[in-house]
Amino acid sequence: MNHLIQFSSSLQGYLAVGAILFALGIFCVMTRKNAIGILLGIELILNAAGINFVAFSKFRTGLIDGQIVALFIMLIAAAEAAVALAVILRFYRLKQTIDADEASIMRN
Amino acid sequence: MNKVLLLAEVLTVASAFIVAFHPNVLYASVFLLFTFCGVAAMFLFAGADFLAGAQVIIYVGGVTILILFAIMLTQWLYNIKLSDIRNKMLLPGVLAIAVGVFLYRALHQMVATLPPQTPEALEKFSSTPKTALIGQALLGSYLLPFEAITILLLGAMVGAVWLARPE
Repeated sequence: MNHLIQFSSSLQGYLAVGAILFALGIFCVMTRKNAIGILLGIELILNAAGINFVAFSKFRTGLIDGQIVALFIMLIAAAEAAVALAVILRFYRLKQTIDADEASIMRN
Repeated sequence: MNKVLLLAEVLTVASAFIVAFHPNVLYASVFLLFTFCGVAAMFLFAGADFLAGAQVIIYVGGVTILILFAIMLTQWLYNIKLSDIRNKMLLPGVLAIAVGVFLYRALHQMVATLPPQTPEALEKFSSTPKTALIGQALLGSYLLPFEAITILLLGAMVGAVWLARPE
């Protein structure tokens, strides 16, 4: 238990959480049929990247540049979520579904 | 203090598992909220006080609510019983585990190339307030990315309003 607490507050602990979040995000993007579910996976992936930046900023460089990059990631994720949800609402009005497999208008 | 950090990490990972595996996207997005809260706590322990606040405001107060609205405006009311997960899980599972392990190993290699901080420097970094430093950096050496982000946010706002307009 002590070992686990020690690990959780080290750089390796942060990297492990980031890697797990990234893997779960990839899994979520690949297995969901629902367009909103895919968006959830993308949010997990972006959060994993932010955790890694913040962890390296504290444990290795000692500068705040990593935190600023994490802030930019956060803002880009917010803009992306707003546009993606607008697209999903539009698509729902068109097709009465948000199944990503139905989005094949531009195929052939 | 370190126990709280461990708790936050366990909360983050556990609710991320529910986000990835729950068949109903409504419950998945509610647990995404807990993931964001856990990540905010991790930021706090990594000395990123401003980022932790921004995480709570933008993600917990903004993105999650937006996603919940989108779910309720589209399909949730009509087919709550419908499972949203594909049946084929083997290939995505194997691929996700491979990517996660590769990422951890690769970052581990990279860690070895950088010199570690002394405990005193870590303590000092954690106890410094970051809001003023981030503000000065954003209007100093990061001015160009900052302006680009403002244009991106304006474009995203206009685009979202235009896309979601009534017929």
